Amino acid sequence: MTTRADFLAAIRLEMGKTRGLFEAATSPRPAEPRGAAEAVRRQMAERWPEALERFREEFERVAGVFHRAPSLDAVPGLVLQIAREREARRILSWAPEALGLDLRPSLGAEGLHVTIAPDSDPAAEARARHREEAAEAEVGVTGVDWALAETGTVILVSGRGRPGSTSLLPATHVAVFDRDRLLESLEQVGIILEALHADAARSMSGAVISFITGPSRTADIELTLTRGVHGPKEVHAIFVDRP
Amino acid sequence: MSDGGPGPRFPERAGAALKDAYLQEALTIATTKFIGLRRESFSGFAQGEALRDRARAIKEATLQQLDRHLERLADSIESLGGHVHWAATGDEAREIILRLCRDRGVRMAVKSKSMATEEIELNEALERAGIRPVETDLGEYIIQLAHEKPSHIIAPAIHKTKGQVAELFSKELHGAFEADPEVLTAVARKELRQKFLEADMGITGANFAVAETGTVVLVTNEGNGRMVTSLPRIHVAVMGMEKVIPSMTDLMVFLAILARSATGQKLSSYTTLVRGPRQPGEMEGPEEFHLILMDNGRTRQIAGPLREALYCLRCGACLNVCPVYRQVGGHAYGHTYPGPIGILLTAMLKGNESVKDLAHASSLCGACKDVCPVRIDIPRMLIELREHLDSEKIAPWPERMVFGLARRIMTRPAMFRLGATLGRIAQRPFVRQGRLGALPLFFGKWTRTRDLPPVAARTFSERWKELDRS
Repeated sequence: MTTRADFLAAIRLEMGKTRGLFEAATSPRPAEPRGAAEAVRRQMAERWPEALERFREEFERVAGVFHRAPSLDAVPGLVLQIAREREARRILSWAPEALGLDLRPSLGAEGLHVTIAPDSDPAAEARARHREEAAEAEVGVTGVDWALAETGTVILVSGRGRPGSTSLLPATHVAVFDRDRLLESLEQVGIILEALHADAARSMSGAVISFITGPSRTADIELTLTRGVHGPKEVHAIFVDRP
Repeated sequence: MSDGGPGPRFPERAGAALKDAYLQEALTIATTKFIGLRRESFSGFAQGEALRDRARAIKEATLQQLDRHLERLADSIESLGGHVHWAATGDEAREIILRLCRDRGVRMAVKSKSMATEEIELNEALERAGIRPVETDLGEYIIQLAHEKPSHIIAPAIHKTKGQVAELFSKELHGAFEADPEVLTAVARKELRQKFLEADMGITGANFAVAETGTVVLVTNEGNGRMVTSLPRIHVAVMGMEKVIPSMTDLMVFLAILARSATGQKLSSYTTLVRGPRQPGEMEGPEEFHLILMDNGRTRQIAGPLREALYCLRCGACLNVCPVYRQVGGHAYGHTYPGPIGILLTAMLKGNESVKDLAHASSLCGACKDVCPVRIDIPRMLIELREHLDSEKIAPWPERMVFGLARRIMTRPAMFRLGATLGRIAQRPFVRQGRLGALPLFFGKWTRTRDLPPVAARTFSERWKELDRS
């Protein structure tokens, strides 16, 4: 059995024999990540309209379906329409606290079955039950932590009331976001993630961060592009003008 | 696979590939398509070249402090409640996984595509131990059902037709499925969805691991990476130790060029950042997280001739542009890693002896270096590898003799002049239309596939002397 000490000693021995191929440095990181993230937010408060245009263009390029809602109140109607068009009856949603919206009253009244991720610390049985529900659901509705314009990507951080399976198991994923979520570049994402991890409280959390760029796809059979191989076949983004 | 075994050698395997008409067509279509997609995605991307330089610098800088970054990575993962294992060899990495399976009563493991687990032939070891490994990347799933090996790093089943896949699925999954990629993909989705939900263990590789935060990064298009890391109760990631990168800032540099190089996408459909086991409050995630850091021949290249190959991101771009790969495909190489970089990685993992044929499976045209996202100088290392095969007397003796003779002649002017004169006489019976098209004895091996220019009627130095006089 190789120990950590053995493994590293072998590496150090070899490292001692060379100075490397050329002088090189890793990427300079923001000295003050939270301040840098704040600066990004201030920039985006100005530049979000251009970023939204770019997001839409790139998102559609990767086969995403873009919608715009005047306010959060209009979102359940759009979800209902998406569900109806796909003859879907089972809806899975992030907890209202995480989504900013409770879909149960409006969609329940329309005869849809809405499952909400529990916001509390879930016991094993609750988790197992939720997983079964998630596996059966046809449409998953989530929020978005950041919408990356450069690549048409929605970035979701897992956590209480916001399980990853909502954006993964159902055949249709609907992601809801507003202007505060928009970022322009991967470089900005880097700054935001540095800040996220610099936060002592959150840096201990094992959150899963998912970058989602369009639907699940494969070209493994004769290079024929096919969607929905394991994850969603369709991804919709609803931009809410007035949160 | 014939790795190190007595199976056919590269020339025989390559010969068979050249006679396979379907393979030839599939290779041309696939590699041409990937080349076009890559070129297109970089052409409208002004920062691309600068990002490639940055990525290269990050890889080199990380290697210069590799011990520190690995320690940081291990500490980060352990502070999240994950376990880190240190495997000096492939055998050890396999043993660690088998022990985990035994101790925890694992019967089925779902896998997302991982070259590291191909490298240690994990599936065979699991099967022997009575554990069922299920590949979940569609391409890998197909070749697993067919009991074959991947032929391309990122498109493992490009050598199979949809008709063959339909036949395979119909037989193995007991149905009658149409030869339509859409239908076949839906069949695999249904079949594998059940496996994700039933499996006890998820096994992945890692495209990157961020030392600072203990984050393992998986890049997939199908979403299987997300399933495998979130649904089973145990997640095991197997990673070559050189995949560690320092920070999230560095990660963004690599993400910006990886998918562009591999498939021409700006980002792959899913980039998944996972950290340790499920935390309180989370709905999903494994109860246990294990990271296996694997050496398996890598450490001795830190100060060795193949150091630069440790930068490799496994994007597959060099395969697509390689005139040899484009003709013979991945299987002909006979090892886990095909293509130009594969020759170097095979030498790294299995020693120079294992690539004595493959070291010559390159025209040294340099196309691989041009497209490599981290600008690995593959041709330079191939030449050094050939030199080494010669100096260590691994190359066959006739080859060493001929080249040794050539060197002696070329470095002595008198010998060279004599050689030219003798050559002019000796070649007379073989020159056809100004070319040497067929030589006798074992020299014939050279001219079987290419012509040789004949020795000129007058050498350059003879002409130079005449010019000098006039």
